[in-house]
Amino acid sequence: MKNFKIGAAVCVSLMIGACGNQGNSDANSSKGALNSNIAEKVYIAPGERDEQYAFLSGGYSGNLTVYGLPSGRMFKEIPVFSQFPTSGYGYSEETKPMLNTSFGFIPWDDLHHPDISQTNGELDGRWIFVNGNNTPRIARISLSTFETEEIIEIPNSAGNHSSSFITENTEYVVAGTRFSVPVPQRDMPINEYKSNFKGALTFIDVEPEHGHMDIKFQLLMPGFNYDLSRPGRDKSHGWFFFSTYNTEEASSLLEVNASQNDKDFIAAVNWQKIEEFVNNGGGTMMPAQYAHNVYDESTHTATSDMMEDVLTVDPSEVPGAIYLLPTPKSPHGCDVDPTGQYIIGSGKLSADITVHSFDKMLAAIDGEQFDGEAYGIPILKFEEVMAGVVKSGGLGPLHTEFDGKGNAYTTFFISSEVVKWELGSWEVVDRQPTYYSVGHLMIPGGNSRKPHGKYLVAMNKITKDRYLPTGPEMEHSAQVYDISGEKMQLLYDFPTHGEPHYAAGCDADLLVNNSKKIYRLDENKHPYAISNPSDARVERDGNEVHIYMSTIRSHFTPDNIEGIKVGDKVYFHITNHEQDFDVPHGFSIIGQGTSEILVMPGQTKTSLWEPKRVGVWPFYCTDFCSALHQEMQGYVRVSPADSNLELSWSLGE
Amino acid sequence: MKKASILMIIGAALILGLFAFPMWNIQLGAPQYPEPLGIDIYINGLKGQSEFDLQNIDGLNHYIGMKTLPKPEDMWEFTVFPMVTIAMSLLGIIIGLVAIFRNASPNWFLFWFLLMSLFGVLGIYDFSQWLVDYGTDLDPNAIMKLVNPDGSPMQYNPPLFGHKKLLNFDAYSYPKVGGILLWLGMMCTLVAFWLGRKSSRNKAQ
Amino acid sequence: MKRLITTAFVAIGLLITNACNAPSTPQGSTEESSTELDKTTGQAFVEDDVSNPNILQIAVKSEDHSTLVAAVQAADLENALVNAGPLMVFAPVNAAFDKLPEGTVETLLKPENKGDLANILKFHVTPGNYSVDLIKKFKKLGQANDQSVPVEVKGEDVYVGGAKIIASVKASNGIIHVVDAVMLPPSE
Repeated sequence: MKNFKIGAAVCVSLMIGACGNQGNSDANSSKGALNSNIAEKVYIAPGERDEQYAFLSGGYSGNLTVYGLPSGRMFKEIPVFSQFPTSGYGYSEETKPMLNTSFGFIPWDDLHHPDISQTNGELDGRWIFVNGNNTPRIARISLSTFETEEIIEIPNSAGNHSSSFITENTEYVVAGTRFSVPVPQRDMPINEYKSNFKGALTFIDVEPEHGHMDIKFQLLMPGFNYDLSRPGRDKSHGWFFFSTYNTEEASSLLEVNASQNDKDFIAAVNWQKIEEFVNNGGGTMMPAQYAHNVYDESTHTATSDMMEDVLTVDPSEVPGAIYLLPTPKSPHGCDVDPTGQYIIGSGKLSADITVHSFDKMLAAIDGEQFDGEAYGIPILKFEEVMAGVVKSGGLGPLHTEFDGKGNAYTTFFISSEVVKWELGSWEVVDRQPTYYSVGHLMIPGGNSRKPHGKYLVAMNKITKDRYLPTGPEMEHSAQVYDISGEKMQLLYDFPTHGEPHYAAGCDADLLVNNSKKIYRLDENKHPYAISNPSDARVERDGNEVHIYMSTIRSHFTPDNIEGIKVGDKVYFHITNHEQDFDVPHGFSIIGQGTSEILVMPGQTKTSLWEPKRVGVWPFYCTDFCSALHQEMQGYVRVSPADSNLELSWSLGE
Repeated sequence: MKKASILMIIGAALILGLFAFPMWNIQLGAPQYPEPLGIDIYINGLKGQSEFDLQNIDGLNHYIGMKTLPKPEDMWEFTVFPMVTIAMSLLGIIIGLVAIFRNASPNWFLFWFLLMSLFGVLGIYDFSQWLVDYGTDLDPNAIMKLVNPDGSPMQYNPPLFGHKKLLNFDAYSYPKVGGILLWLGMMCTLVAFWLGRKSSRNKAQ
Repeated sequence: MKRLITTAFVAIGLLITNACNAPSTPQGSTEESSTELDKTTGQAFVEDDVSNPNILQIAVKSEDHSTLVAAVQAADLENALVNAGPLMVFAPVNAAFDKLPEGTVETLLKPENKGDLANILKFHVTPGNYSVDLIKKFKKLGQANDQSVPVEVKGEDVYVGGAKIIASVKASNGIIHVVDAVMLPPSE
């Protein structure tokens, strides 16, 4: 009898499963892509182009991906913190220095939060900044070449998570540490964490013309976890807000020990005040080692410098610059609305969203409405700074974006939905499920004074059955919603690459006309570039051999090389002489220990080859460049190490 | 008559526009070139419609064995045509001035127009000869040798005027600002002749 | 016995078929329906009989929790219980519901009381995954309805909101603590 019951129960649950699936396909036909007016909203006819760009972080892929909205088509993966054999990034001699750190060459990172540069609080489309979470770094990517141009390592930081958000004139890109650590690092017992570890909040100056980054100062805060951050904008410009958790300062079993306090804090930092303090000679220079890597577009080459000190500021040195706003339930997202008035803290273990008011915060500071202090930093009274609470009905709020029409959109991880609510009245306007367990969301420009709000992209952590199965490991799934109406409308699902933690987006018009088509050969200042095929040559310097090679459809110059010996380090310096949009040439040679390199028109890239065996070894173009691509090949003759064969090279002889 | 003479001077001066603007344009469009490659033909040489178009057209043409596009020093036309243009413009202006101050006959306007037309026709004939030569005098060792259905070697000369399909390319050949200014200028001189004749007849009556 | 099984299968089969044959939405009104939540979509309805069972699947299979499962379904909270979590659910046994004043359960299950029912059920859910030993370290727990529930340790026993933990079952997305009483949220 017992068996029967179990059998029936299993049977029922299976049946429910089956029915659920049926329901699912029903649902699709009634509200999915088959609905023609929804289909029209995402359909981009062949040859037509998308309205908006979306830059999705790749998370553990270490890279940034570029998509179109509303179609969800992926256009490019931009290598940032990870070696990328597709282009040779991190493998070519020119780009290896980009991945240099104080820990040596690190070929990977966990890329989190993209943020597009702004002027007067509006997206200006010059650069996009991203953070490497694991070995703390901030990268700047050009939105004209869509290539990584600069990476700066952040000393005294660990788990660089409340990053890389920019102030409204791109004065600073800010990087906050998630894990507090001993500063400076030293050998000490872990259980002495409390009051000994520090949380560094780093303000990196961005030079307005070229975007070059330089650490201006580091604020050494109490040893909390700094989770996410946002700049004040418009009226609150000059302030920066950081959500915190683990204000208990636990170092072990945080799921219990960091969940003891009813409220953690949002830290409000008046960076203009600290900037003034620093400009007047304040702060302490501290020895620190961190790499600063810059890619020069004219030499097509990156250089890496090791920096030796950093300016630190102790909060107690600048009274009146930092306040703590109590916020319930380990807040994760810390978002500021387009007017700069509201600071939204999403208690990730809660049902409700707490909203603080900037005006009330200033009044509370004026009226000294304090509720004690933490390490000398005043804690403002919760009731005096709170503007309202959104009774959401959901569970596990994470992140909020804005449409510029007075509405906010918050993701709920546990209840797996996006909730639209109104700023000021705190009323829920609409809610839509996501598939499944949404993390971040993004409205193009939703993190600026002027959102380009038409679409909302929900980035989900769990995919399960949304696509054809691909074994246990599946790409994450994103969903596009139309938010132009009162109610959100689910338009489309698309798979994403890696794990998108946040994204940035903008109208296509902002970038289309600045997107570079080719690099000019006559501006190529690479030391091994050749501007004319007649300059092609091979030079030996001890066991280093430098091959100055050029490519044009459909041959290498030279394509026959002799006089190379086993044990040589052979550098192929390849200059692509094409000056035609989208005609790269690739280069690979048998036994190449790195990756192929993909050389864009007018560019020079270098691949190192260390021949191990005697023989005649072919190389070829890896990019189908032309009708005679298959003919684009050559040979290198490798002689024994003690051979006396002179170097020689030729083409067509 | 004064009006007619001024028009004659304006007309003769307009042809100097050939030094500022291209007179003709040949475009090659194909699916892989959504922005067509183009050659702007100036009185004193060729220029890419976009900066690297000449290089890219040469790059494509080498497959079918065409010669590279001529540099100014490769063709006498690019030296002689500018001289002829300046000379004709000066001549026209002088005729106009003489007509104002010395009352020259409007027939001189017609003479100028006819002379200019003759040079124009010769220029167009020369241009078409060059197009044919460029499109048919191919390297016998060309990478791709294509034949027409009847077995004769395929020719690639772009059209003198209008549109022509060349393999997967659409070739377009049309006058540009310089050419239009030349035509306008010549029309001015023709109108000047007509006006001048009318006013001299009126005077005679 | 064999006949009984067959009958049961047929009956269930009919039931399911009927449920699945719910009339599909007519073409014309698709726009409107697209903003409604469909009760049968979401992670709870992903077909997966290989992974370890999640909280909902365990609850559905437990004879002692049929009242709780019925309540969860009435409140449309299935999807909340299959989430990645982690979730900790205090699951009152059927007997615990029986201890409530007569008619309470019936009243709560009425559609018009869905909000109250959801609030009570969420008061039984903690975002987290703690063993009984770990729960002892808390003085109170923050529940999914945004209220706190006190934790008391009496000798060997742990009481949460007055309900005694009598057993614990690990699930793929958290843990179920079986409790002997229904926890009623404090009125604010």
